[in-house]
Amino acid sequence: MSDSPRTQPSFAASAARIFDLSLGQMLWSRRSVFLALLAGGPVLLAVGIRSLVLIYPDALPRVNGALVGGGALFGMMMWLLYIRFVIPVLGVFYGTALIADEVDDKTITYLFTRPIPRGAVLVGKYLAYLGCTILLVLPSVVLVYFAIVPVGGSVGESFPALLKDLGMLAIGLAAYGAVFAWVGARLKRPLVIGLVFAFGWEPGVLLFPGYLKRLTVAYYLQALVPHAMPDDSTVSVLMQVFHEVPPVAESLAWLAAITLVTLWAAGRAVERREYVLEQ
Amino acid sequence: MTTKTRYFVIASLLVLGVGMGSGLVAYYSSYPMSAFMRRGGPDEFKYVPADVSVLAYADVQDVMHSQLRQKLHDAVPMSENGQREFQDETGINIETDIEHVVAFAEPGSTGGPGGMVLARGTFDVPRIEALMSEHGARVEDYKGVHVIRVGAHNAMADLHRGMAPSDTRPDRVGVPGANDFAVSFIEPRLVAVGNAGLVRAAIDQKNSPNVTSNEEMMKIVRSLEGGNAWAVGRFDAIRKQAHLPANMASQIPPITWFSISSHVNGGIRGTVRAETRDSEAANNLRDVVGGFVALAKLQAGSNPELQGMMHSLDVSVAGNTVELTFAIPAEAFNALGALGTTKKPAQKPVGPVGH
Repeated sequence: MSDSPRTQPSFAASAARIFDLSLGQMLWSRRSVFLALLAGGPVLLAVGIRSLVLIYPDALPRVNGALVGGGALFGMMMWLLYIRFVIPVLGVFYGTALIADEVDDKTITYLFTRPIPRGAVLVGKYLAYLGCTILLVLPSVVLVYFAIVPVGGSVGESFPALLKDLGMLAIGLAAYGAVFAWVGARLKRPLVIGLVFAFGWEPGVLLFPGYLKRLTVAYYLQALVPHAMPDDSTVSVLMQVFHEVPPVAESLAWLAAITLVTLWAAGRAVERREYVLEQ
Repeated sequence: MTTKTRYFVIASLLVLGVGMGSGLVAYYSSYPMSAFMRRGGPDEFKYVPADVSVLAYADVQDVMHSQLRQKLHDAVPMSENGQREFQDETGINIETDIEHVVAFAEPGSTGGPGGMVLARGTFDVPRIEALMSEHGARVEDYKGVHVIRVGAHNAMADLHRGMAPSDTRPDRVGVPGANDFAVSFIEPRLVAVGNAGLVRAAIDQKNSPNVTSNEEMMKIVRSLEGGNAWAVGRFDAIRKQAHLPANMASQIPPITWFSISSHVNGGIRGTVRAETRDSEAANNLRDVVGGFVALAKLQAGSNPELQGMMHSLDVSVAGNTVELTFAIPAEAFNALGALGTTKKPAQKPVGPVGH
């Protein structure tokens, strides 16, 4: 029997192995119920509206008395459900849990004792998060689109907007996921901090003029949205008034930078940090 | 990857794939690539000079048969006097005879937006010539083509004078009748309507370099695919024609080109683009337009009928180009129509004082 020396797998191969392992874990965990609700809720709502319109053709929703067509309704659902809620929530809950869950379950030791770089563990888990959320959210958006847009709108006319929406959501999931992966790897109580960032800091600074909004993901992400921002509340109207839209190329560049830098910082934090498992 | 996970991935990709496929089919069936865009412009472009300041196109049949037009026709009692007057004078029914029109304005024209309209359609030429002759028009022969000229005394010329000013190009100044209104069937299914000098120039233009050689303008024209009515213009040329006071002209943003493209069907969906001198000017213009849009949205808050329209306004900037997109649903027109036709409350008759 020959004792050939075992070579350490490459970073990419390690990340791919962790991805394979984590994708199934993420999909079929207790958190999946929450994920299914987030992705399935808008679909149920859309099917409900469509059914209602089929039964009562005049039942199209109205905003301040004005009839809302399918395209506009889809735009509103994109803003209110996906952009302002689903994407940040998924980012917070899944991003912060990438490492924190392994620490809480005291299973991180099993991963870190493998002959793979620690950074690859985080990258593999991040890619699994991205795959899991994209595979759930994008089909959900497609189903909502086909349920809602034909109601007083045209699928063909608004199809380019759907493509932009899907691209924007994938980019948003990537950016929020990376930011919160870093928060999860670096800080204690990452969930609380993540929620404060996503639902306190981000909407807060977007309400006011100035440069602080550049320290958010939402500022750049909202520049990619092909639908007009709905003015459903006073806060929304205020947001519209101070709504600066950076150029698309600039937004894409910043989102790419945010994703890469925070992912790199998260990997570095995982490499350097000593995780103490509470007994 | 477990079997369960694999099934999930396949199901998810299947939903995405079927959705994308269906969307693409719907997209391409709702926007068939128009033949003229593939060739780089409709045939009428050969009569359009290369240096026009504004070029416009409208698919009249598409617009006339659109759901929006039908709804507007039903909702708003429109005065069709102009259309009827044009038909009485020329024998051309805009609604049924014309398929599409190409219009342009030339920089040589002064005093306002002067130009010519080229309309493609089905025309009863002898009847139209006879009708116009009855109304005092003179049929002349110019290079083998009939030019029906309407003198300065004619009502149609008066109507036209408001739209098309004198032809002041050096080769046309002093040409007798160059500034009269004229109609000419320069091809069996193509009528040129406009200033007599420009109509004659169009006949001369046939084999000269035309607007398709103006690569800058054609690039913008090609980008307007999908709209059934559009216009492209050189903003600097229009500004020069407007003869604005120097202090006012200096306040206007340095726009070089502008374009408006709209698709009229159930409503109007369109894009207004302005190309500026540089990206700084584009950002400034975006801020100004964005401010007005925000203001309009705030104003619409108290006017629920306009909410749908205001929702659709969106301003963006890419490089030197500022883009305003809009989608005006038919409901907005209905609301406007309803506002216009709302009967004023009957006024109380004022009785004699001390009665």
